[in-house]
Amino acid sequence: MINHWLFRCKDISYLISQSMDVKLPLKIRLGIKFHLMMCHLCLRYKKQLELIRKVILKIEAEKEADSFTTPLPEQIREKIKNHLKNH
Amino acid sequence: MDKYGDYLYSFALHRIQDEFIAQDLVQETLTAALKSKDNFKGKSSEKTWLTSILKHKIIDFIRKKYREPVLQDNILEPGFKGDIFDETGKWETEPAKWSSNPELLLEQKSFLDIVKKCFQDLPKRPSLALTLRELEGETTQTICKVLNISTTNCWVILHRARALMRICIEANWLEKKD
Repeated sequence: MINHWLFRCKDISYLISQSMDVKLPLKIRLGIKFHLMMCHLCLRYKKQLELIRKVILKIEAEKEADSFTTPLPEQIREKIKNHLKNH
Repeated sequence: MDKYGDYLYSFALHRIQDEFIAQDLVQETLTAALKSKDNFKGKSSEKTWLTSILKHKIIDFIRKKYREPVLQDNILEPGFKGDIFDETGKWETEPAKWSSNPELLLEQKSFLDIVKKCFQDLPKRPSLALTLRELEGETTQTICKVLNISTTNCWVILHRARALMRICIEANWLEKKD
């Protein structure tokens, strides 16, 4: 068992990502917090990952706002309609 | 059909990027909707209801596709190139400072373009995992099922996907800034 007060940067980078997907146990969260207080590089890493998450969401929101729709080709539309009629 | 056909098609196309498969998925969605229309209680809008059926169809499709064991990436291998630590676990290539005011980056088009490009360039599996996680808001549990991998590997893939994104953005962004 890794001592959670002595995480290495390598462990922290993994845990930072994991903490974005799942709620980690308190001990681990404190261990991360403790490390981040002393390590500006890991803190920077964490902020960059959070920024990337925000940017990805922003890009997606903009895409949807553009509401660029691709219409179904006419033959396919007819094909699907026929298919539905037979059900 | 006339009302939502184009919307569903665009939605599927946006996620699958293959027009023939997208067309099939629309057909399957509408067929399934017709069959179970009695279950539709009007709790949500018709559009939301159809979208949720389509989302399930998309996930089913991806799951089937990835069950075929043709996984050509090395994302789960130990010597993966995203690892940038020395043998004591310290940063070997330190994460660089991107901006004196990182919040402003969100507003910079050139930065957003780089992120977009890096996202497109991710290998298939990490890209899929990250899309499901960040855009669909799926839990790691669902992602593991879709990709047919263990929970631990799922975290590893997400971690490496983010690490790859970060490295790609950093390289392109700093080059642009100088």
